Amino acid sequence: MAKKHFGSKTINLIVFIVLSLSILVFILYPYLSIFIESFNEPGQTFFDFFVNNLDLTKNSLFIAITTMILSTVLSTAVTLIFVFISKKWQQILRLILLITMVSPPFVTSLAYITLFGRRGMITHDLLQLTINPYGPQGIILMEALSFTSLNALVLIGLINQLEPSLINSARSLGAKVDSIIKDIIIPLLRPGLIVVALISFIRSLADFQTPTIIGGSYKVLASEGYLAVISMGDIHQAALINITLAIPALIGFFLYIKYDRIVTTQGHENSGGQSPFPLPKKGAFFWISSVLSIFFYIALILQYGSIVLNAVSEKFMGKFHFSLQPILQTGPYLNDTILRTVSYSIIAGLLGSLISFFIIYYSQVKKNKWMQFIEMVGTFPYILPGTFFGLGYLYAFSKPPLQITGTAIIVVINVIFKQVAFATKAAKAATNQIEPTYFKTVHDLGGTVVNEWNDVFFPMTKHGFALTFLNGFISTMTTIGSIIFLVHPGQNMMTLVMFDVVQQGQYQVASVIACLIILICLIAAGIVFGIINLSERDWSHVFRSQRSNQEVQS
Amino acid sequence: MKAIKKIGLLAVFLMALLVVTACGNNSSKDSSSNDTKSSQQFKGKTMNVVATSDAYQPLFDKFSKQTGAKVKVLSMSSGEVLARMKADKSKPMADLWFGGGLDAFMQAKTDGQLEKYQSSSVKKIDSQYRDKDGYWLSKGLTVGGFVVNKKVLKEKNLPVPKTWADLADSKYKGEIIMSDPAVSGTMYAIVKGIIDQKGEKAGWEYWNKVNDNISFYGKRGKDPQEKTASGEFGIGIIPVDKMAFDSAKQNDLTVVYPKDGIPWVPEGVAVFKNAPGKKVAEAFIDFMLEPKNMKELAKLDGKDTDQIIMPGVKGLDLGLNKKDLMKENLSTFGSDRTAVLNKWSDMVGDK
Repeated sequence: MAKKHFGSKTINLIVFIVLSLSILVFILYPYLSIFIESFNEPGQTFFDFFVNNLDLTKNSLFIAITTMILSTVLSTAVTLIFVFISKKWQQILRLILLITMVSPPFVTSLAYITLFGRRGMITHDLLQLTINPYGPQGIILMEALSFTSLNALVLIGLINQLEPSLINSARSLGAKVDSIIKDIIIPLLRPGLIVVALISFIRSLADFQTPTIIGGSYKVLASEGYLAVISMGDIHQAALINITLAIPALIGFFLYIKYDRIVTTQGHENSGGQSPFPLPKKGAFFWISSVLSIFFYIALILQYGSIVLNAVSEKFMGKFHFSLQPILQTGPYLNDTILRTVSYSIIAGLLGSLISFFIIYYSQVKKNKWMQFIEMVGTFPYILPGTFFGLGYLYAFSKPPLQITGTAIIVVINVIFKQVAFATKAAKAATNQIEPTYFKTVHDLGGTVVNEWNDVFFPMTKHGFALTFLNGFISTMTTIGSIIFLVHPGQNMMTLVMFDVVQQGQYQVASVIACLIILICLIAAGIVFGIINLSERDWSHVFRSQRSNQEVQS
Repeated sequence: MKAIKKIGLLAVFLMALLVVTACGNNSSKDSSSNDTKSSQQFKGKTMNVVATSDAYQPLFDKFSKQTGAKVKVLSMSSGEVLARMKADKSKPMADLWFGGGLDAFMQAKTDGQLEKYQSSSVKKIDSQYRDKDGYWLSKGLTVGGFVVNKKVLKEKNLPVPKTWADLADSKYKGEIIMSDPAVSGTMYAIVKGIIDQKGEKAGWEYWNKVNDNISFYGKRGKDPQEKTASGEFGIGIIPVDKMAFDSAKQNDLTVVYPKDGIPWVPEGVAVFKNAPGKKVAEAFIDFMLEPKNMKELAKLDGKDTDQIIMPGVKGLDLGLNKKDLMKENLSTFGSDRTAVLNKWSDMVGDK
C-alpha cells in the first residue's frame, strides 16, 4: 500500500512538473522572446510605431467592433431558430454549421465579388449599379458571415443546457413565445453572447487574410503585419504590429475570462423532463430570426456551392464546363501533405486534449493556484493572433538552449499547444459535470491520485474528451497563421498549400483542397460521434450504477 | 492503472504515427527512383527547395529519377524567405532557392546568405543574367504587360490601350488595377524598368499620372489578373506568361505587350550558405542548365523563347519579341529597391 502510494505520488509529481514546464516553455517563452526581441532590436521603437500608425489601430478596432456586433446578432438569430424546429431539422442545420466552421476566406470573398462586385451579378447586371465592394464594408460582411457558424454552435450548446421545466411551466402558464424568448432564453444566453462577441472581436483583430483579399485600400494591423514580413522582410515591424494588436486583444480577454467563468459554472445537468421545444412558430423573434437565418443559409449555400462548382469545372470563354481537371491538377500540390496533415491533427487533438484535461484536473478539481495560472497562460495562443505565436516560436527556438527550428517537431509542438486554450475550456465544462464527492470518495477509500484519474476523472469525462479531440483535430486541419512561418520544405500542411494556391490565383486547385479538408473533418466528426454513440449504452449503464451508488451513500 | 496504460498506449500510437508520416514518403520516393538506370549518385540524400510555386514538381521529379536524390519543395515568396532568414540565423532556409525576384537574391548575397557556385555550363548564359561573383544566376525572365477586359472598356466607350503611355491618360481613371510593388516582384520590376527607361524625373511623373487612375493597389500578385477577369476593372497590369494567355482564353480577355517597351526581370536561382545538401543543389543547377531541361522548365513556367536566358533553347511562342525588351539597369535593381518603394509609398499614400 505504501509502495503504491509512493509510486502514485511520483507519477503525480512528474505529471505536475511536465505540465508546468511544457506550458511555460512552449507558450510563455515564445511570447516573452518576441517582446524582448522587439524592444531590443534596433529600429523603430514601439511607442513611435504606435503613434505613427494610429490609423491602423483605429481601422482594426472599427472592423473588429462592427464585425463583433453583426456576427453576434446573426448567430443569435441562427441559434433562436433552433427552438422552433424539430430534432431532425436541428441535426441537419447543426451539420451545416459544423461543415462551415471550415471557412477559407477566399471562397466567401469570391462569391461576394461575383454577386456584389463592380460588375457583380446582383449589383451590376440586375440593379444596373457600379458599386465599389472593396473596403471596410467587404471585410466586415465577410468576417461576420464566416464567424457565425462557430458562434452559433457555441450558443446552441447553451440552449441545450436550458432547464426544460422552466420553459414548460412558463408555457403551461400561458406565456407568449416572444416573452419566453425575451424573459427566459435570452437572459440565459447572455453570458454566452458575451463570450461569442469577444471571440468574434479577437478573431477579427487577428484575421490577416480577408483584408488582403477584399479590403482594397483599407489597411488593418493584422494584414499589414503579414505584408511587412512577405514584402519587406521586416520581421521587426511585424513584431511591433503584433504587439499593438495584443493590447485590444488582451483587454477583450480579461472581459472574456470574467464572463467565461459564468458560462462554465452555469452548465449544470438537466433535471430531465419533456423537452419544451419546438415552440410554436410565431412572434416577432421567430420572424426576425427566420429572415436573418434564411439570408445566412443562402449565403452559406452560395459560398460552399461555389467551392464545389470550382472543384469540378473549368472555364472557357467566360462559361463553366464540367471537368475533372482541377482534381487531377491538385495531385502534385499535395503529395504526402494529406497524410502529414491528418497525422499532425490527430496528434494535436489527442495530446492537446490530454494536456488540457490534466491541467483542469489540477486547476479545477484540486483548486491548485499555480495550475490556475498555468491554465491562464495556456489561453494566450487563443487570444493573440496566430502569426504572433508563430513568430514567437521562430524567435524563441532558433537559438540555444532549445534550437528546434527547421524540424517537423516544432510544427507539431506548435499545433499541440495552440489547442490548449480551447481544450481547457471544453475540459472545464466536462469536469463540471462530475460530482466533486466522487473524488473525495476515492480518497477516503484509500485511493491515490492515479486512482482518481483511472476511476473517476477520465472515465467520466470520456464524452468531453472525445469532443475536445474533435475540436483540436478540426482546428489543426484549418490552422494557418501560427505555422506559416515555421514550416520548411517537406513539412507543408494542407491549409498552407491552399493559402499558397489562392495567392497564385489557382482557385480551382484551392477549391479541391478546401473540399478535401471539409471531407476529412466530416469523416473525423463521423468517427468521433459514432464512437460516442456506441459507448453510450455502456456509458449510461455506468452512469446509472454510479447514481444508485450515490443514492445508497446519501 | 487502466487510464495510465491507455495513455502509454496512446503515446506509443502517436510515436508510431509520427514515424509513419516521416518514413512514409521515404519509401514512396525511393521506389520511384529505383527503376532508372542512370547513376544514383545522391541516393538517400535530400535536397530541400524553396520555390515560388509547386508547379515545378515534374522537373524535380525528373532530377530525382536521374540522381536518386529526394526533393522536398516548399512554395514561398522571396520576401518571406528573406524575413525568415533574418529571424532564424541558426540554419539555412533550405538547400536551393528556386525562383523569385532578383532584388531578394541581391539582398541575400549582400547579407552573406548565399553560397558561391559557378556551374561549368554557366558561361552559356548571357552575363547580364547572372551574378558576376557567381552567387546567383537566373532561370528565366519575367516580363510585364497588361490584360484587358474588352467588355468593360466597351461599356465605357474606351479604346484598348496599346502602350504604357496610354495608361497615364485620365480617361482610364478607376479602370486600372496593379499590385503593390512591395508585394509583387513583377510590379517592382515594371516600376523600376519604366523609371530606368524614362529617366528619374520623367519616370516618376509618369507613375504619378498612372497613380491618379488607380483606385487601390492589390495586396497579392494575382489581384490584377483576377479582378480584370471578373470585370471589376478594365485593365490589369500583369506578368505575361502562358498562364496569362490561358486565363485570357478562359475569361475572354486580351493580353497586350505594350508597344513602347517591355519591362523584364530575371528570376533568381541560388544555393544557400552552409546548406547541408549543397552538393545536390549544385548538381541540380548543372542539371537545370542542360538545354533539354531548360526547355522543360520553360514549358512549366509557360515562357516564350525570348524569356529564356540560354540562347538556342526553344520555348513557347507567345508573340514576344526580344528587341522590344526595355533597356534596364540591373546593377541598381537591388540597391535601389528600398528607396524606390519608399518614394512609391509616399506617392500613393493610403491606397
